[in-house]
Amino acid sequence: MSGVLSLQPSYYEALKRLTLELAGVKLGEDHTFLIETRLSALARKEGFENLSDMIDQLFSRGQTRLAIHVVSALLERSARFFNDRKGYDVLGETLLPALHPLYRGGQLRILSFGCSSGQEVYSTAILADQMKDVFPGMQIEVTGVDYPSLALERAKEGRFTHFEVQRGLPIRYLIEYFDRVGEDWVVKESLRSRIRFLDHNLLSGIEDMETYQIVMFRGSLSQYSPPAIVRIMRNLSRLIARNGYLMLGSDETLGEMNFGFNEAPVAPGCYLKVGKDNSGSQEDVSEASRPAKTSQYKDYSAA
Amino acid sequence: MKVTPKKTCLIVDDSKMIRRVAARILRDLKIEPSEAGDGREAINMCRSSMPDAILLDWNMPVMDGLEFLKTLRKEPGGSEPIVVFCTAERDVMKIAEALDAGADEYVMKPFDSDIIESKFFEAGFV
Repeated sequence: MSGVLSLQPSYYEALKRLTLELAGVKLGEDHTFLIETRLSALARKEGFENLSDMIDQLFSRGQTRLAIHVVSALLERSARFFNDRKGYDVLGETLLPALHPLYRGGQLRILSFGCSSGQEVYSTAILADQMKDVFPGMQIEVTGVDYPSLALERAKEGRFTHFEVQRGLPIRYLIEYFDRVGEDWVVKESLRSRIRFLDHNLLSGIEDMETYQIVMFRGSLSQYSPPAIVRIMRNLSRLIARNGYLMLGSDETLGEMNFGFNEAPVAPGCYLKVGKDNSGSQEDVSEASRPAKTSQYKDYSAA
Repeated sequence: MKVTPKKTCLIVDDSKMIRRVAARILRDLKIEPSEAGDGREAINMCRSSMPDAILLDWNMPVMDGLEFLKTLRKEPGGSEPIVVFCTAERDVMKIAEALDAGADEYVMKPFDSDIIESKFFEAGFV
């Protein structure tokens, strides 16, 4: 494989260290080829002659903006719409019904933490729109947050290729929520207007961010180092309002540390915030916000 | 031990290459493919043995995909197969027309195995 790789071996190690330090993510030995392909594309977009020139500049001048873009490109996930479908079933059948009594007549905020190119954000907004008659009087706003990156810029545009819209998005939703623009598909303004995107370092402080009733952080827990997981979970615990929920992937768990969430998931990968929040909310931790497990907990063990 | 029969899918496309590619993808999904080169041949095959699913091109000689679908849905047992259009047509009006005629899902060419699997999943087939 070395014949197709262009970087000095020492640069791979340096890039792995950079990714661990900036994002808390440990790249594996098998990421060498991924580093080449993802960063070559970034180098072209950044106007460099080749990948080596970009990496030389990154490590010789230590440009922060370039470092963030490099790490973001390395961490970009191959996202698809309605990925891990069980999570959306839980959202629609368990979490939103549980929160509806508290937020009827108000706004419920959902955050996609590490939203990459936005498929999770738009899928959630579509689900909310499809269920608006089921939850009258509850406005749902969806926000996506991630490191500043080319993927996040694409998410903000709401523009997807014809390959991307065919991964997980039912055709009826495509024609209801997207317009065809040239060869691409662009999210309609009616849906786009209910969505926000934020640039933010996922490991840094979140003091300037508002609280959310549901935070989705699904499918990426395993790639973070243990110290980074603790840091992220502490941040997420602060970001989630009391009575709110943390959604991990349906096969992910918090393990032994609960970070202010209830110990047992209310649904696969789904935890209720039972501790204090930093929103100043006076809402009571009432039974109204807890999903009725016997009637609404969906058993996926046989799925 | 009872062996569960494989699900079957009829690929209807006038391009032999597309039929071959699709058949390989379906076999990887543990679906047994059969092939027809146009709508007329496909209707005759369905009358003989109704497949579980149909991957259907739009523009074909003799009988096009839309006419085939409308005819199929009137046949005895013709409402049963899951029909996934697989066509170069990307116009929203065309897509809506296909859904109105009874298509369950819609693949826009070019496609890959991930898209085919995703669309069969959306249609409740895998």
